[in-house]
Amino acid sequence: MAKKTTVQPALHKVIMVGSGGVGKSALTLQFMYDEFVEDYEPTKADSYRKKILLDGEEVQIDILDTAGQEDYAAIRDNYFRSGEGFLCIFSITEDESFQATQEFREQILRVKNDDQIPFLLVGNKCDLEEKRKVTLQEAQDRANKWGVPYVETSAKTREHVDKVFYDLMREIRARKKEENKTSNGRGKDKNKKKKLKCIIL
Amino acid sequence: MDIPKEPNFSLLSSQDFAPEKYVRDISQNYVGGLELQNIKKKIQALADETSNNLKKNVYQNYVQFIETAKEISHLESEMYQLSHLLSEQKGLLTALSTSSILEDNRAHFDVRNEKLDEQELEEENKQKLATILDKVENCKEVVEAPDRFLLFEGDLLEIDATENTAIKFVHVYLFNDSLMLTNRNSNSRGLMRYAFESLYELSSLAVVNVRDLGNIKHAFKLLIFPDTRVFQCSSNASKKEWLDKIDQAKKTRLVQEQQKRESSLEKISPARSISVDLSINSQPEEIFTHPDWFLDIPDELDVCIAQRQFEDAVNHINKSKTYINKHPEHVGAIQKKIDQKQNTLVEMLMKELEVNPEKSLQGGLRATRTAVRLLNQLGRSTQSCDLFLKLCSSMLKIQCKRVKREGSTSTYVRHLSSVVFTNMCHMSEEFLRAFPDSCANCASAYVVWASGELSLFTTHFAKQVFMPQTSLSTITECVVLVRSQCERLCTYGVDFRYQLDGALRAPLSKALNDARDKFVDSIKLRAIDEKWIPVNLNTRSGLARCLQEYAVLGLKLDTYVTGDVWLQLTSSNLAFTKSFLILLDDCLKLKTTELLHSIDETLTKCFEAQLRYNEQGLKNEDQKQFILKNFEFLLVVLVQLTQTKYKEATGYECDNLNKLVNDYLSLLKARSTKTKYSSEFL
Ligand SMILES: Nc1nc2c(ncn2[C@@H]2O[C@H](COP(=O)(O)OP(=O)(O)OP(=O)(O)O)[C@@H](O)[C@H]2O)c(=O)[nH]1
Ligand SMILES: [Mg+2]
Repeated sequence: MAKKTTVQPALHKVIMVGSGGVGKSALTLQFMYDEFVEDYEPTKADSYRKKILLDGEEVQIDILDTAGQEDYAAIRDNYFRSGEGFLCIFSITEDESFQATQEFREQILRVKNDDQIPFLLVGNKCDLEEKRKVTLQEAQDRANKWGVPYVETSAKTREHVDKVFYDLMREIRARKKEENKTSNGRGKDKNKKKKLKCIIL
Repeated sequence: MDIPKEPNFSLLSSQDFAPEKYVRDISQNYVGGLELQNIKKKIQALADETSNNLKKNVYQNYVQFIETAKEISHLESEMYQLSHLLSEQKGLLTALSTSSILEDNRAHFDVRNEKLDEQELEEENKQKLATILDKVENCKEVVEAPDRFLLFEGDLLEIDATENTAIKFVHVYLFNDSLMLTNRNSNSRGLMRYAFESLYELSSLAVVNVRDLGNIKHAFKLLIFPDTRVFQCSSNASKKEWLDKIDQAKKTRLVQEQQKRESSLEKISPARSISVDLSINSQPEEIFTHPDWFLDIPDELDVCIAQRQFEDAVNHINKSKTYINKHPEHVGAIQKKIDQKQNTLVEMLMKELEVNPEKSLQGGLRATRTAVRLLNQLGRSTQSCDLFLKLCSSMLKIQCKRVKREGSTSTYVRHLSSVVFTNMCHMSEEFLRAFPDSCANCASAYVVWASGELSLFTTHFAKQVFMPQTSLSTITECVVLVRSQCERLCTYGVDFRYQLDGALRAPLSKALNDARDKFVDSIKLRAIDEKWIPVNLNTRSGLARCLQEYAVLGLKLDTYVTGDVWLQLTSSNLAFTKSFLILLDDCLKLKTTELLHSIDETLTKCFEAQLRYNEQGLKNEDQKQFILKNFEFLLVVLVQLTQTKYKEATGYECDNLNKLVNDYLSLLKARSTKTKYSSEFL
């Protein structure tokens, strides 16, 4: 058994949300193990943990990969409560999944009761450009409206996979530092920190 | 000038003691050798005492060291046993969880949903909850909540999610609407094995399958806002089972709640809402349904076996058998399953009884009681008897090994035989208790076992005792000891004295022959120094002591006293008398019908040797009268005593000896008529 004395690095809890089949598990597995899974096997709720170097600092990421399928919708609240940051995924090849992000966003804000919660809108499967149904513009507009970054990824080619996780963790880390400061010092300047700008081509 | 003190411990061991100065002072102050000698003696005594103390201390430390080492080895064996048990348990759990996931469950679930007999369902549920109430402290409110029933339970290991370390074992109950965590109850050793920890509403908790948590395998998480609790299962299969069970329970609950909401709007009876969709394809014709408890028996057995509650398992089996006898229809599949579980159970129980070098036998036979009784109840008394006796054998062996070969032969034999027979008595007692109305098979197996153990013991005994250098007295002492030990077994209805005597007959005859030869040799040895004169005991008190000594042996020698210190017997006859009486005692103690012949011969031969030797004395004409008196002593006084003792032991006199005496009497008569010397006894 490990000794009690080992101090574990800071833990950041990330939750993957989005409709069924958009690639939440695929992104997670690509990030965790550098592999792409072709088969589709619906998820219920899986968790993963990994130690990574975030800007030279060792941290742990805890990823909760949730179910996109509708029949699990009723029990989502319980999962969302435990998250410190969210990757809200849709597939750029499926408009319905993009529309669903609205609902996810609302549910998260309701459950966390915090409109500053670290959150990224992620358009996945960008390797399937020819099947694109959601334009870059409409996705970008929605992200702007929410005040969150928008990133397009491909779990298949690994494009921007690390980026979405690292960016989200930076936000979580910054958020925690800020909370520490406000709880130690005083005066909360909520709007001082502007969200990261979307960087996409 | 101060006079040096008498030497003593405190002086010699004091910090500022200077030997040279002390010696100088002494030699200055004590004049004369005597005084110095005294001082020297005292110092010497001190030195001796010190070295004695030192020896004692070393010995004591050594003894303590040995004791400690023994304790450690005991502990070690116990640890082995523990790890053995754990690994067994683990194997069992994995086996059980895989088997129940793959086959039992699905079929079972479908069957369950076809069940209509609600009353029986409720009855069974009550029973289950009642057992929880018995096992878990402070769970009264939880269990007594209306409409609550148990779906699943099991042991889990809670993990600290941030440190990745084990926290504690928990026993978890899954109800239809909630999940109850209980801790191992450490302060009560009785029935309350667990203590209530917390209860979570199913609707408030989320289950997460932990796919990757470093080195923690087979784990799952419960998210119970704001807590996250991680639990480790014994295997992946067991984890899958937990995840499925909780998932199913949550879904059912959800459907139920929705249905309730709908029904309150649409006024549809919610009672059978769950089974509605599942029972669609059930045949319209009547389907025979068994009560729930019966269908659950294979599962219950799994649980019981896994938790080593063998007793409950056997109860379930018996109950199911009565049921099967009453309703022999449609039980095929379940009966088969039950039979399978029964076989597993029997195997487990037999394993409990198996002799295993890693298992400590500290618990003794008492520890086997449950297993034996249950196996008997399951109709496996032949096997359990067999295993029981094997276990006895190995315990006996271990016990014997502990007896060290130290001290005299008789001490060793006393110790060893007491260990062997005390254990055998104890084992017999335990056997009779375990197999009370035992079938003939068991009883005979027991007799065969006991007889085998006895032969083992006698072989070892013979090797230790019958050695050329062992005296007949020692042999006698040992044999008598073992005989009396062996008699103890008679209380249990087994008399092995005949077997023991049989086994000892040959070595004993040989020992008697050897003793006879040695005896005759010593007669010859004494003859070398014979002067054919009365014994001079030097002082009055010497004489008195001698008379006393023989009086104890049963002989009054007062008539042979002349003067203050003389006995009118030769020293060799006096010595012979004493050894002969000892020999006689030994022989009579050893007496068995089969040995009587050897004994007679030994006694007669020895007596004859002495008579023959006295006969030579007769050649010496001057001493004839004295020697005849000696003859009289041997042939009348000693023989009388001998025959009295012999008769006491056997019921009749020794013919051989009488014959020998008569022969000699007539011989002497013949001689005395030839010569003119006569004695009044002829
Ligand atoms: N071409 C391509 N296919 C992808 C990509 N990401 C996921 N897929 C495929 O999409 C299917 C569904 O992916 P999953 O990751 O299992 O979907 P999910 O979001 O986890 O679905 P749920 O677990 O049901 O919520 C799989 O067959 C993947 O191989 C991607 O970036 N490019
Ligand atoms: Mg998935």
